[in-house]
This record gives sequence, C-alpha cells and structure tokens, in this order.
Amino acid sequence: MLRAVERHRHLLDFALASLLRRKGKNAALIGVYTLVVFLLGSTLFFTHGIKREAARLLAEAPEIVVQRTVMGRYEPVPADWTEKVRALRGVSEVQPRLWGYYFDPGLKANYTFLVDRRAEPGKVLLGAALSRARGAYPGDTISFDAFDGTFTSFEVTGVLSEASELLSADLILIAEGDYRRLTGAPAGLVTDLAVRVPNAKEVPAVAEKIAGLFPHARPILRSEILRTYDSLFDWRGGMMLAVLSATLLAFLILAWDKATALSAEERREIGILKAVGWDTGDIMLMKFWEGCSVSLLAFGAGSLLAYWHVFAGNGFVIVAALKGWSTLYPSFRIAPYLGPEQLITLFFLTVVPYTAATIVPAWRAATVDPDQVMR
Amino acid sequence: MILAPNVLALLVASGATALLTALAACHGVGILRHWDLSSGSERQLALERRTYLTSALVGTVLSFELLSLFLFVSSADRIAPLLIGAMCAVGTLQANGYGFATLYLKLALFLLSGLWLVLNHADNLVPDYPLIRPKYLLLLVLAPLSAAEAVLEALFFLRLKPDVITSCCGSLFSSAAGTETDLAALPPRTALIALVAAGAALLLCAFWTARSQRRLAPLLLGAAGTVHFAVALAAIISAVSPYVYELPTHHCPFCLLQREYRYVGYLIYPALLAATVTSVGVGALAVGRAETAAGELPRFRRRLARWTIAAELLFLGIVAACIATSQLTLR
Amino acid sequence: MIETVGITKTYNQGKPNEYRALREVSVTVEAGEFVVIKGPSGSGKTTLLTLVGGMARPTSGRIFVSGREISSLPERFLTEIRRQSFGFVFQSLNLIRGLSALENVMAPAYPSGEPHTRLRRRALELLERFGLAGRAGAKVEWLSGGEAQRVAIARALVNDPAAIIADEPTAHLDGALAAEFLDLLAQLNLQGKTVLVTSHDPRVWTGRAVSRVIELRDGAVVSADGTP
Ligand SMILES: Nc1ncnc2c1ncn2[C@@H]1O[C@H](COP(=O)(O)OP(=O)(O)OP(=O)(O)O)[C@@H](O)[C@H]1O
Ligand SMILES: [Mg+2]
Repeated sequence: MLRAVERHRHLLDFALASLLRRKGKNAALIGVYTLVVFLLGSTLFFTHGIKREAARLLAEAPEIVVQRTVMGRYEPVPADWTEKVRALRGVSEVQPRLWGYYFDPGLKANYTFLVDRRAEPGKVLLGAALSRARGAYPGDTISFDAFDGTFTSFEVTGVLSEASELLSADLILIAEGDYRRLTGAPAGLVTDLAVRVPNAKEVPAVAEKIAGLFPHARPILRSEILRTYDSLFDWRGGMMLAVLSATLLAFLILAWDKATALSAEERREIGILKAVGWDTGDIMLMKFWEGCSVSLLAFGAGSLLAYWHVFAGNGFVIVAALKGWSTLYPSFRIAPYLGPEQLITLFFLTVVPYTAATIVPAWRAATVDPDQVMR
Repeated sequence: MILAPNVLALLVASGATALLTALAACHGVGILRHWDLSSGSERQLALERRTYLTSALVGTVLSFELLSLFLFVSSADRIAPLLIGAMCAVGTLQANGYGFATLYLKLALFLLSGLWLVLNHADNLVPDYPLIRPKYLLLLVLAPLSAAEAVLEALFFLRLKPDVITSCCGSLFSSAAGTETDLAALPPRTALIALVAAGAALLLCAFWTARSQRRLAPLLLGAAGTVHFAVALAAIISAVSPYVYELPTHHCPFCLLQREYRYVGYLIYPALLAATVTSVGVGALAVGRAETAAGELPRFRRRLARWTIAAELLFLGIVAACIATSQLTLR
Repeated sequence: MIETVGITKTYNQGKPNEYRALREVSVTVEAGEFVVIKGPSGSGKTTLLTLVGGMARPTSGRIFVSGREISSLPERFLTEIRRQSFGFVFQSLNLIRGLSALENVMAPAYPSGEPHTRLRRRALELLERFGLAGRAGAKVEWLSGGEAQRVAIARALVNDPAAIIADEPTAHLDGALAAEFLDLLAQLNLQGKTVLVTSHDPRVWTGRAVSRVIELRDGAVVSADGTP
C-alpha cells in the first residue's frame, strides 16, 4: 500500500520535472487550455450568476401579477378589481400598479415608466444606466414627448441605486398625475395588480379564484416568470457554449497533436526509461500524472480568471453576447457565487474531453520499444 | 429541448465515454480473435500492449460514469423548475421515457466497468492471462451499452419540453400533473429490517471470504452483494429518504444529494456502489477459473473483501446516523 | 544464471524485408562469470543482449534467468525480474538530459516504490563510490565523458542487480577511459556480479578479468568457450 503511494509520488515528481524541462511546448498548451477554460467558465459563471440575480430580485416581486386580456389583447385593469382581490382568502395585500414603456428614438431604447410614491409631481427618479445614457443627473431637467405630441420636462431628483440594476436600469419613477398626463391613461384604470400571497402553497388556488372572479383576468405567477428567466438564460448560455465548442474542438485537436507528435528527444527518453526498468504501465501512469498536472493547472487558472472576470470585471468580454435584449446594458455587479455544480460542469466541458483526446497518444508514447535505445 | 450548460456537459461526457468504450471494444475484438499466448510473434506482442490501452480506457470510463451519474441527477434536479409539474429530479426523469432508462444505463455502466477493472486486476496478477476471454467479452457488452446511454441521454434532453411562458405570457393551468411515484410502496419498517439483514449477510460473507479459502465464500459474497444492492436501493427510497427529509411522504432518492440535506447522498451512494462493485467482483472472480491464479488471487480476493467491509460499514453507519438524528419516527 | 535454448530472432516477420538476426542460439552464463560476446558488426550481438535482458522477446526458443523462464512472460512480470537481475550500460550511455546525475541514477528505481529518502541515500552512496559525490547535482549534459560513463554504471547498479549487461561500452572511449571502465567492471565482477559485455574491441576480450568469450557470426554461435 505504502509502496504504491510512493510509486505514484515518484512518478508524479518525474512527470512534473519533465513538464518543466519542456517549458516552451507545455506553456503553449497550458496557455490555450487555460484560455478555453476561461471562456467556457466565464459563460457558465455568468449565466448562473445572472440567474441567481434574477431569482434574488424576483424574490421581492409579488407572488401574482393580475393583468387583463380581452380577445388576446392586453387591456388596462379597472382599479376597482383591487378590493375584490384583496377580499380573497390568502391574499395579504394588493397593490394597483401603473407603468408603461416609452421609446426614445434618440437613444433607440425603451424606458419603463413606473408610478411610484417616491416621485413628487413634476419630478422623476432615473435608473442608473438611463441616467448615464441621457447624461441626466440630479438637478438636471429631462423631457419626454407626451402621447399628444407635447413636450414635457421634469426635474431629476435622484438616481436609483446600482444594487438592483438588472431590473431598474431603464426605469423612470414618476408621479401618478404626471404619468397619466404623459400617456393619456384614463383615470380609474391601472396597468396591473400586484398581489401578495404569503403562503406559497395557496398561490395557485388564489390565482384560480382570481381567474374565476373576472373572466378577462390573467394572473401571472412569480414562479412562472422565474422559470422563463431560467430557461432564457440557460438557453443563451447553452447557445454561447455551443458556439464556443468550436474553440474547444480546436483546442482538442491541438492537444491531440501535441500528445501524438513526440519529439525525438522524448521518444528516446521513454525508451531509456523502459530499458532501465520501467514498464509500459509505469510510463502510462507517469503520462497520466503529467496530464493531471496540466489539467489541474489550466483548470485552476482558467476558472480563477473566469471568476475574476465575471464577478469583479462584470464579464466585460462576454456581456454583449449574453445580455443583449436591451440597448441599455446595466453595469451591475453579479453577486459572487461558485457552486460545485458549475465547477463539475466546467470540468466536464474541458478536462473530460482533454483526457479522452490524450489517452491514446499517451499509450502510443508508452509503447516505444526499449531495445531501440540500444542502437 | 433543453440547452443548459450542464446538459451540454453531460452530452459531451457521454459522447466521449461512448467513443472510448467503442475504441476499447475494437481493440478487444482484435485481442479475442488473435490472442495466442504461446506465440512470440510481433502481433502477439502488439496485442499484449493493447491490454494496457484497454485498461486505461475502461478506468477512464469508470471515472467518467461515476461523475456523470451525479451530474445527471443534479441536472435533472436543476431542470425540474423548468418543467411544469416537476418538483425534483424524479419529475424531470419521468418527463419522458428516456430519463430513467438513461439513469439505469449509467448505473449499469458504472457497475460493469467497475467489475471489468476487478477482473482486469485479477487477470494481471498472473502471467498467463487466465481471464482474458471473459474480460474482453464483457467489454463487448460495455460498448453497445455505452453507445445506447449516449443516444438515450441525448434523446432525453432533446425531448424535454420546457413548458415555459414565453416572454411574459404564461398559462397557469397547465400545471397539476402529479409526480407521485410508486417506488415508495414498501412499508418502511420492513425495508429497514431487510436492509439490516442484507447488510449483516454481506458483512458476514465478506468476513468469511477474508478468512477462509473455501470457494463457496466468495460465491456467497457475490450473491449477497447483488441482493444487498437491490435491498439497499429499496430501503433508501422507502425508509431512509423520509428519515433524512423528516417527511413521511417524501421518498425521493435524489434529494439526498442536495445541500439541504448536507449532501449526505454523496457519501451514501459511493459507499453503496463501492460495496457492490467489490463484493460482486469477488463473486465473479470465483465463478471464473480461479484456480490458475494460485497465491496472488486469494490475496486480492481478501483485499476486495476488506474493501467491501469498509464500504458497507460506512454505508450502514451513515444510514444509521441519518435515522438516529432524524426527528421522524416511522412505523 | 542465464541460459538461452535455441533462440531465434526474426525482425519484420512475414514481411518482404524479413531478417533473421539470430538463429538457434544456445548459450549459458553462470553466476559470477565475466563473459564477452564478440563478433563482426551485424552478427547479432546487440540483439542477443536485448533478448537476454528482456527488452525484446525471441521469435522462438526459450530464455531462463535464474531458473525462471522469461521468454513467455508478459511485460508486467518481466520488468520486475529485469530490475532485480540486470543493470544496463549502453553504448551511447543514454543518460536522460536535463536531469541531474543523481536523478539519473535514481530513475530506474522509481516504479519500485522505494521510499524516496532511502533511494536517494543509496544513489548518493553509489555516486560517492565512483568519486562523483561532488557532481550529484550537476546536469548530465555538463559532465565529462568519464564522469558520464561512471554515472551510467551507478545507474546500472541502483537496483542492486545480479548481473551487469553492457553493449559496446568502450566504443566511444579513449584508451585510458576504456581501461578505467574495464577496471570498474572487473571490480564489480570480483564483488560477485555477473558481467556480460559485447564488444569487437580487442582491449575488452583480452582483459584479465574476462573468464570466457563467446563468438557470434551471422547470428549463430561460432564458439562458446573461447578463452581470452
Ligand atoms: N529493428 C530491426 N529491424 C530490422 N533489422 C534489424 C533490427 N535490429 C537489428 N536488425 C538487424 O539485425 C542484425 C543484427 O543486429 P545487431 O545490432 O544485433 O548487430 P551487432 O552484432 O550488435 O552489430 P554491431 O557490432 O554493429 O553493433 C543487423 O543486420 C541489423 O541490421
Ligand atoms: Mg551492436
């Protein structure tokens, strides 16, 4: 038992020494390997991080949002639904909400107007990304085209904090009267209702009751939104990985080639070792440790870099590919998180194919004839 | 179809595994056809060298299978919220006919490749390759299984229909599909008694094998290992899981792998798999032509038996600890 | 200690360039002997050594080492026997470049799993014995010819084998170094090691320590009990 451990130790030592002896060749391989781990890892960590972020933000969202559709078309909700919904069992609170989109032809971007008590009449609060894009900071005035073509100006009194920027990037908080004046939304109608149901088990029942109460009501569950986000981000991440798989393939070919094309020097070295008393199995074990060291190094370095890139550098390299559904990219920070599952997935996408690609070349190398060194 | 990163990772791994097993089987065919130990020809030398490759390939397959077994279950778990009605891995796996088939294939491949490595090790203990034929015949079984696993797994993920609400329109009433399983029918008390009995039988046989030279001992150990595996799975579903979750109705064998339950499954299942591979391996060795491997083989057999004992004690110990610390009492 | 029974080695068997390098060679080397194999170039001396040393397998015939047949043993059993029985010194020394003298001496013992400190101590003792204690850490490419030669012998001895096998060990050496090398072999032989050397160098076969000369020609034994 101890001898076996000692044997592994010797062969590992030898493998490390022989890696160091061929620094040039191995550094190139490890460099490319690290890059591949970095790219795939960034995608993975980013997708996962943004999903967690969405889940975290939605955790505060209402359990049910009630909208109204008439003949498949979206319609505002009568404000008097509020009381009836509030009377349902299990519902703790109902908040009528007034909000809508606004297209800015100058920036070619959509903003979201949301009526909020924090905004006094004639004043607005801006999402951070929007504030940056329009160059409007507290104290400035900002103007929008109203629905009837008139030009309305507001004073900016604040910028929303960055913490929740994923959802608030393009947000404008506005007072109710200003909103109705800007959009022409008639009094007595709201955009939707935010319904709070403290007990998660009662949510489907409440939603069902709401749907029964008003024939045109369409309750949307938070869990469904979450699911949509999840699959949206998963899909984007998956697509990105599929694109990156070309890189992976190129890397595998490189690795295979490097492992197959043994230099005369290496071939001679293996021949010598076999001639002086190593077995094919010993050489393969040594090669195994060599591969392990390379993989460990590249995997470690690549995932650390990816971690830093995603959670400290905000994923600047891959951000455009993943998020681009809005022109206003939030520059938010994703809360650092790395679970075993991400690492295992990354391991499967990089180390497993690398191992599979180098196993046969390693064996080939190990079967060099020992008697050739006699000539 | 679901194209999540971990799904891609699984597909890559099962593709690589299938490729490696196919390669090993190709070499295996060569070995089965042309093997002639008495010949000093260059071809025989080349074949003997190939045995090094096949061992390395199967060893790699074993480790890939083990990892992918756990990633598969945890991915199924993660996908569950995407599927309406699925609560955890069981729901995902039941979403179409390929889920459980893939899982069982993975399990079978892991156990068979473990068995192969046991045979291989025994075969390498003596110079005359006594097990070369059974070994490579087994390899020919592994290859199609591994290919089937890759195909079924791909089909499983391709056919998964995430019932998502697109953009922001969702239909609420598509939920309500039940994910009850009928795996939990066994009364928990019976299951636990059976587990203790099977565990005791396994340990006894293992002790006996470690002590005696009789051929009956390893054969019984192999049989006990097989029975124990089945009983243990049933007991985990019907009794151990509810104890761990402290919910009499929660029978899912996969949630054991989750963080909420301190990842206890990552100890329970490897211990169980190790006890199974070693004990069944000993049995398989006794079925084969064991006599040729005088001296070395009994030592290897005793070592395997000791591994069985260690793994089984770990397994039973963790199960006992789970039950002892649980707030739940089942009758 | 070593016995070959009618061994034949055919290279490229079954191909047009088939070549029989050895035909029906039967020789015996007793433990403690100092045997030289001589013969013209291409007569199969090196081939015979590789077969005896277990680096290649005979096409037919059998080889016994210390009473055990090795010619049909699979490689994984052979290497253990090889390590215990033979230490090799090659014509072109074949030290591993980039490693130190000490590491070169230790390398053959790595797979045996001997504890590192013990192995290192033993290797250092060997180097010391050959007057190389000060050069243990030096990379082998910086060693002089004579030093490299002695490192190669130290490496051959690290597993404490029963026999030393050397193929044309003096081919690249000038008179003084060759004499020094032969002296070392003679010493080892006196200490009980069997020595098996090939050479077409008269300095070798006429050495005082040589107990027997075997002559090969065209792959066959011409005489097996020639005296030096
Ligand atoms: N791998 C090989 N394939 C084909 N022929 C070979 C091979 N190795 C050796 N031979 C041939 O076998 C014959 C014997 O070779 P060997 O090296 O044993 O001769 P030798 O007696 O050692 O010669 P020298 O004194 O020149 O070293 C030579 O004719 C050589 O060409
Ligand atoms: Mg020669």
